[in-house]
Amino acid sequence: MKKRRKKIHKEAKWPRVVSLEERDEVLSFWEERFGIPKETFADYLLLSTAKNYWLFVKPPELRPLQNLQVQTVGLLFTRRVSKWLKPTSTALQRFGHLATRNVVELTPSELDRLRRERRLPFEAELEEGYVVIKCEGKVWGCGLYAKGKLISYLP
Amino acid sequence: MLELNEAPAYFERYREIIPRFEEFLEHLKKPLPLYFRLNELKCPREEIVLKGLERQGVKVEPVPNFPKFYRVEPRDFPLGNTEEYYLGYIYPMTLSSALPVLALEPKPGEYILDMCAAPGSKTTQIAQATGDRAVIVANDRRLDRLAALVANLKRLGVASALTTIYRGEVFPYGVPFDRILVDAPCSGEGRYRQGYEGELLYQKEGHTNLPAIQKGLLVRAFDLVKVGGIVVYSTCTINPEENEMVVDYLLRKRQAEIVPCDYPLPHHPGVTEWEGRVFHPDLAKAARFFPHETESVGFFVAKIKRLF
Repeated sequence: MKKRRKKIHKEAKWPRVVSLEERDEVLSFWEERFGIPKETFADYLLLSTAKNYWLFVKPPELRPLQNLQVQTVGLLFTRRVSKWLKPTSTALQRFGHLATRNVVELTPSELDRLRRERRLPFEAELEEGYVVIKCEGKVWGCGLYAKGKLISYLP
Repeated sequence: MLELNEAPAYFERYREIIPRFEEFLEHLKKPLPLYFRLNELKCPREEIVLKGLERQGVKVEPVPNFPKFYRVEPRDFPLGNTEEYYLGYIYPMTLSSALPVLALEPKPGEYILDMCAAPGSKTTQIAQATGDRAVIVANDRRLDRLAALVANLKRLGVASALTTIYRGEVFPYGVPFDRILVDAPCSGEGRYRQGYEGELLYQKEGHTNLPAIQKGLLVRAFDLVKVGGIVVYSTCTINPEENEMVVDYLLRKRQAEIVPCDYPLPHHPGVTEWEGRVFHPDLAKAARFFPHETESVGFFVAKIKRLF
């Protein structure tokens, strides 16, 4: 047990605070794709580890916190998948109700089938790309709409 | 394992502390009522949850004076298997377990340490109470318990918490904490009732010196909080050795005072004398909650201010 904990400490690293340009790129994606204004995230920092972006509340000062050996910081927000940005289902479940564009409303039976079979034949007036999956007022997470299909990225 | 018929003998030593002792013993035969907290961070419209649960045959009623808390019938309904749970709209937790965070009164923009945070009921309650705008350090010393904490933070969509895995007694200095919650590991006597027999920690870990651990955690929390800051010490046990005696230890070692606090559940002053030992008079400002008076788990809460 002692050994295991030590190993984790060693690996634990503070995520990097992203540059203003990178922050703007990620938040612009949310704004353009889903119509969620950048100001929604004004009280949050955007941090990055490898290909992941994390949302973390903006502290009065970050430096004292950076001396802690952390396991996780904030909420997993967006991932970089090859050259694309992909919203996480976790973040969509939290902020997806603010989306005004690229929202797919499914019936309970369609949602069931999507969760079971991971894809559905689907035609809608949508731009191809990542979508918010909703059912009866609840946001379930992220899907991909492409070529007449809806692909599930639900956890 | 403590069987229900052995409970009267076990709790006899607390006869003087527990009001209406016979009624208390009788109450232990009833199972714990089921409550949940609604998570408005993820669910902007309460009726989605309430109607969803009612469709599953559940009766849901708001708890007076406890915003966002609901009581559920039947009490054995598996809330953890529902869509509402999966999507992070609800957090099942007993009513009295909400009291320490009510005493803590966290504010947006403050640094808050939840020293023994897993599995996260109180951490997520702090996040909700501050609109996800406080800076919460959620710590737990055990990796397996930390995994449950991380999962709950994710499930409830909390972005204001970071997690650490320090032993609370040696949590590093350097963050100017405004408020610290020490919801200490305890023997869990307040939880004891039908359906929870054998859950008492003193039996599971017979050689663990709980009061020593609790004193270590509380003193460290006090030393970590800034001058004028607040430390809330709570347990879900009846034993004064894990409650008043621990806080008394702090009051004698450091410049601290207990701050009186309003609670929305019936409660009694902390004891100032136990088995011949006299405690600091401030302990009368701590609060004791009993299962039969709260329809919940027995709790002890002390709100402590750092004076110097």
